[in-house]
Amino acid sequence: MPHDLLNVQNLETRFKTPEGTVHAVNGVSFKLNEGETLGVVGESGCGKSVTMLSLLKLIPQPPGEIVAGKALFKGDDLIAMSPEEMRHVRGGQIAMVFQDPMTSLNPVMTIGKQMEEPLKLHLGFTPAQARTRSIELLEQVGIPRAGERLKDYPHQYSGGMRQRVMIAMALACAPQILIADEPTTALDVTIQAQIVDLVIRLREELGMAIVWITHDLGVVASIAQRVAVMYGGFIIEEAPVKELFRNPRHPYTIGLIGSLPQIEQEGRKRLFSIDGMPPMLYQKPRSCPFSPRCHWVKERCRVENPLLEDIGNEHRVACWVDTSTGSERA
Amino acid sequence: MTNYIIRRLLMVPLLLIGVTLIIFGMLQFLGPVERSALYMKDFPKNDKQVEGIIRQYGLDQPFLVQYWKWLTGVKDPVTGEMEGGVLRGQFGYSRTASQPVVDIIRNRFPNTLDLALWTVFPMLSVGIWMGVKAAVNQNKAFDQAARIYSIIGTSFPTFVFGLLLLMFFYAKLKWFLPGRMSDWVNQLIYSGNFKSYTHLLTIDALLNGRFDVFWDALRHLIMPIMTLSYINWATYVRVTRSSMLETLRMDYVTTARAKGLLERDVVNKHARPNAMLPIVTMMGSSIVGLLGGVVITETVFNYPGIGKAAADAAAQLDVVTVLGMGIFTGLILIVSNLIVDVMYAFIDPRVRLN
Repeated sequence: MPHDLLNVQNLETRFKTPEGTVHAVNGVSFKLNEGETLGVVGESGCGKSVTMLSLLKLIPQPPGEIVAGKALFKGDDLIAMSPEEMRHVRGGQIAMVFQDPMTSLNPVMTIGKQMEEPLKLHLGFTPAQARTRSIELLEQVGIPRAGERLKDYPHQYSGGMRQRVMIAMALACAPQILIADEPTTALDVTIQAQIVDLVIRLREELGMAIVWITHDLGVVASIAQRVAVMYGGFIIEEAPVKELFRNPRHPYTIGLIGSLPQIEQEGRKRLFSIDGMPPMLYQKPRSCPFSPRCHWVKERCRVENPLLEDIGNEHRVACWVDTSTGSERA
Repeated sequence: MTNYIIRRLLMVPLLLIGVTLIIFGMLQFLGPVERSALYMKDFPKNDKQVEGIIRQYGLDQPFLVQYWKWLTGVKDPVTGEMEGGVLRGQFGYSRTASQPVVDIIRNRFPNTLDLALWTVFPMLSVGIWMGVKAAVNQNKAFDQAARIYSIIGTSFPTFVFGLLLLMFFYAKLKWFLPGRMSDWVNQLIYSGNFKSYTHLLTIDALLNGRFDVFWDALRHLIMPIMTLSYINWATYVRVTRSSMLETLRMDYVTTARAKGLLERDVVNKHARPNAMLPIVTMMGSSIVGLLGGVVITETVFNYPGIGKAAADAAAQLDVVTVLGMGIFTGLILIVSNLIVDVMYAFIDPRVRLN
């Protein structure tokens, strides 16, 4: 039986801060199949970035600490790997693209040098080979005059171009997984669309699996096959993208989708918003983390935290309430 | 790049005018009577004598007139010789040292330069190394030690540290010596069998193939080098550490790690070059500090550098010499700032290419 490309089980990450321990990720489990795109959505501070950074052990330790969980990548546990083993996975088999292209490239190093590094490191390319391949990669992501532009520094590129460079660099060693941490958040809307189109095209050409972290549900709808919604360091709902948009079951997801503006909507109506604030995670939530903001809240929600439960159609949700009927789940 | 340097060079004359105005202006705070003391051989018999000297040397003339005379030079009313004239490259005659100010600089500056040359390498390399290592091992033993050292180093007075060195290495062990050179070296230099190519004693000794002279020069240099390194390291550790810590938090460092680079390369190739910018700025002021004379260190070890010469002149209200030394230090400041600017452009493409 072929195992999943990535199988994360019960991942828990904490940060020790002067104000107390922040429980950023509280037992996250998900799977990623080969060539699949998983969208991870949730508001700022819900733990989506920390989850992905933990997988590659890129959270600063200390103050960060991965306290529990496994992340099986092709059967090998990433969390248990030695720094040396992890280094071979990073950039080679799992690559990352970050949120802000203005700051994620080294300002005092030429684009060419930064592009060539993973090629020399993981594929053992000679400088000449690395250069040729860098030009190909830059052309692949749509950078004109790639040969000349290798000599340029990041400040000579626009934001969108830099994100293209980041993507080209991430895909340099043909990784099996690309983790994109809000790669379009810092860009103009038109550039956002270009980057999404670019990644979709590259996915067709290269066939890598993608984890796309975002808080933009529109982007998720256009790129992901499956979506995981995170809240308070938990995945609270997970479903194929169409199922999730058509049939959201968790009160938080319902709120998120309800707060999207609808073009077809008649008249001027105020956008829906979810009351309250996301929780401060100084303690690991024992009850449902969303209960203080929830309209469906029941007594049980305040004492016990629901686990993800399969409700059919590959749809999993963590809620004590069946929101389609409003009554407590059996 | 060339444009950048030319623009900086064009600024130099303006800066020099500013420097001369400020230094001259500040010394004008001494009244004519105080400045007249320099020209008096004996204790004045009465006020008339003082007034005579003030009038003779024009010490009560308007500020701009005196400034102009200082810039262009003036005939000494007694000897009839042309004196001073910054524009002619003359800084006047030092009555306290009985020689032209330019000669004091010519004699003393090579000593200061020699000391600075031997200090700058241990100062930078060890200071930066410690700072980087402390940042990489934040909150671990090395970092804690470096931070404690940095506090002690910045607060421990130079003259106390210097005296402790003298007590231990000179008085007790007799390993290292104060002063510039032993008598036999001095005699050798005057004997004509020792060619002074650069006037830097250590370099000249090597060029003459005299390792005994080189060793003697070094024995006199080690204690001031230790003192200067000790205080400067503390500052370099502090600045390098905080700059490195800030850089290590940057997104591009995470990018470098996410590419699977060795941690050593992440630190040395990605983080450190970016962390060097504030250190280059500081290097400028260190160089000025070392070349403009390290008064306390030179005084403690009786080292005949330019700082000690300036301090001696100032103690005797020798306005002419202090002015000359001030301008000279100003020149060093301008040149070292120029070097810093060029280095900035060299390490930061954002400066170089705009």
